[in-house]
Amino acid sequence: MAFVAAAAGCLLRLRAAGAERHWRRFRGVGLARGFLHPSATVEDAAQRRQVAHFTFQPDPEPREYGQTQKMNLFQSITSALDNSLAKDPTAVIFGEDVAFGGVFRCTVGLRDKYGKDRVFNTPLCEQGIVGFGIGIAVTGATAIAEIQFADYIFPAFDQIVNEAAKYRYRSGDLFNCGSLTIRSPWGCVGHGALYHSQSPEAFFAHCPGIKVVIPRSPFQAKGLLLSCIEDKNPCIFFEPKILYRAAAEQVPIEPYNIPLSQAEVIQEGSDVTLVAWGTQVHVIREVASMAKEKLGVSCEVIDLRTIIPWDVDTVCKSVIKTGRLLISHEAPLTGGFASEISSTVQEECFLNLEAPISRVCGYDTPFPHIFEPFYIPDKWKCYDALRKMINY
Amino acid sequence: MAVAIAAGRVWRPNRGLSQQQQFSSLDDKPQFPGASAEFIDKLEFIQPNVISGIPIYRVMDRQGQIINPSEDPHLPKEKVLKLYKSMTLLNTMDRILYESQRQGRISFYMTNYGEEGTHVGSAAALDNTDLVFGQYREAGVLMYRDYPLELFMAQCYGNISDLGKGRQMPVHYGCKERHFVTISSPLATQIPQAVGAAYAAKRANANRVVICYFGEGAASEGDAHAGFNFAATLECPIIFFCRNNGYAISTPTSEQYRGDGIAARGPGYGIMSIRVDGNDVFAVYNATKEARRRAVAENQPFLIEAMTYSPSPILPPDPHSREPTLTWGPLPLCRIGHHSTSDDSSAYRSVDEVNYWDKQDHPISRLRHYLLSQGWWDEEQEKAWRKQSRKKVMEAFEQAERKPKPNPNLLFSDVYQEMPAQLRKQQESLARHLQTYGEHYPLEHFDK
Repeated sequence: MAFVAAAAGCLLRLRAAGAERHWRRFRGVGLARGFLHPSATVEDAAQRRQVAHFTFQPDPEPREYGQTQKMNLFQSITSALDNSLAKDPTAVIFGEDVAFGGVFRCTVGLRDKYGKDRVFNTPLCEQGIVGFGIGIAVTGATAIAEIQFADYIFPAFDQIVNEAAKYRYRSGDLFNCGSLTIRSPWGCVGHGALYHSQSPEAFFAHCPGIKVVIPRSPFQAKGLLLSCIEDKNPCIFFEPKILYRAAAEQVPIEPYNIPLSQAEVIQEGSDVTLVAWGTQVHVIREVASMAKEKLGVSCEVIDLRTIIPWDVDTVCKSVIKTGRLLISHEAPLTGGFASEISSTVQEECFLNLEAPISRVCGYDTPFPHIFEPFYIPDKWKCYDALRKMINY
Repeated sequence: MAVAIAAGRVWRPNRGLSQQQQFSSLDDKPQFPGASAEFIDKLEFIQPNVISGIPIYRVMDRQGQIINPSEDPHLPKEKVLKLYKSMTLLNTMDRILYESQRQGRISFYMTNYGEEGTHVGSAAALDNTDLVFGQYREAGVLMYRDYPLELFMAQCYGNISDLGKGRQMPVHYGCKERHFVTISSPLATQIPQAVGAAYAAKRANANRVVICYFGEGAASEGDAHAGFNFAATLECPIIFFCRNNGYAISTPTSEQYRGDGIAARGPGYGIMSIRVDGNDVFAVYNATKEARRRAVAENQPFLIEAMTYSPSPILPPDPHSREPTLTWGPLPLCRIGHHSTSDDSSAYRSVDEVNYWDKQDHPISRLRHYLLSQGWWDEEQEKAWRKQSRKKVMEAFEQAERKPKPNPNLLFSDVYQEMPAQLRKQQESLARHLQTYGEHYPLEHFDK
């Protein structure tokens, strides 16, 4: 379980004597360099690693929050954490390897700036990290815990579901751990396989008492993370790791908040509603362009942003307008969060539906390594499903 | 993995392996970052010592006499009386609430028989503002902190006075003003939480310690390991207080662990540790007091393992006693009760085992012997107190029974700080449902 690996071009943490040599060399270079670059030494194009299955689409530069700076996703996270530690003297950040800057560089510079009592490593123990974080939050201090990969959050499942989520309810509001936020890298990355690619939001969606939030971009991430940290309920913030370097846009330097439990209609349309979160938002955006171009179909694209409590009204309002709904996520189909959306929408908007609700998701398998290009719900699968819905 | 990461701290990162440290050839000392130790050239496994384990610290003998005068805490009379009365009142409350469960008046109960000494001895050594994380068998800590009987009962009955709003099973107490974090059923989950709270207290320069109680069974959980390790590495002012009563429901310690109990694990984590006689209130007091002083002063964790015995069925009243039922008199000890009201320990405990403890040792009788020998208590006061405490408990009990349950709307609040829209819809749908089908629900017992 705690068989995680640090990163260095590939995601395996290296063990034994040679490890720290690699570790030191790649530490300065950062993780994602190897992510999307084809290997320079391989001549055969067919063997080159895939390019990304999406194209990051930055949003227009935000004007209302003051001066902006170009930041990628991990930098926008660092900025949010920096803002938080600056204005909240009780805030602390902890987890595995956060002290040197984190395996994805999200906490670079923060220990030097705020001190070793505020940005510190913990032993390698996820149940301990979350339990410890709950305890800090119970005293009213702000706890920002990092779980190194969402794939490793499961040892902490009991602490999250049985403890954090239920703290306020079971005590009659005498106690709570609302000032706890858990951040974790999430989602497919091109080569992560079973244990560096998972999207476990559905497990937590079934747990009243916590909030689960997933940003699609650096600007969204900073505002949503700040809202999670300030929210008076325990929050899980999943960060699409494939976007850490790949997504860059103008992000305000000062703190700002993006509200939780509010989905965003990022593109209006009239014929079909597309819903996704995280990386997949960029996939469905592209599908919307393809639909316009090839089929003359106008798509309304919605980024759900908060998984629970989710914004039923925005999605239903859209489906009432369009009559068609396609939901897409990397996580496996069965029991995935698309099933919750689908079920609710058919209850609320049954008579408005022109076609069955479509879910384009990962297969019901563990996340494979070499077969990733076939596994993921890419734009072709989404496009095909959309086409069938239009022709229903 | 730990080697690789630790190596980054010890070796200068920019040198590379070409420039190794020069060792003087005759002085071959180990340089491993993972352990500070000498070499040995003889193959030898360390033998775990379970035959003569960590000794058990005690202050009083079984007759309540101080053994070593330099260990006498010299507690003032008022404090010792408070200890005694807290334990006995708890015992009385336990008997009545246990009975009330057997009679179907409350759904569940857990007694504290035999462990009263661990609760009050430790509570008395703390500041009132020290934060307490318990397991579920620490009601004596609350009792010592003057939690009213009315509120104990309210939680067990889930009535309108319950500060927990009727959400949990009986004995899941919590009290913000007495710094007692609400109990939860999952075992050992409180351990890493207590460590986090201690870390926050350290950062806040609060001069507070956090105390975390758990049983020897719960100490097998992964959360216990996590908590110990975090407390040591992050230098937290916390007291880990393990109540070792010999059984986890039906599982004896021989099936729970193979090492020398819980105290022996402490040094493995780098934690100062001690084992005490849990039936000796003064021993518990002394150990907790010193642990508290040093935990706060030195920002390090302490582990106290208090040995008691696990209860058994309530024995029938002594036929020679003129007292009617429900006395604590010469009573059986240790988890003398069943694990809970869902348990019948005669299935796994022999009668002889129980009788030995019954006659030999109990925190209440030991302290009473001490009180008597000090001239601070006598039979008259004992009789009067028994009557008075029983009366108090019965009054609180009758009141608690009469009160209604909270309004069913409280089923829906406090899931989040604010109620989400979807949940409000569900709340409204229940309200509508009750308008039509209300007769099928026990609405008459609930607040309107």
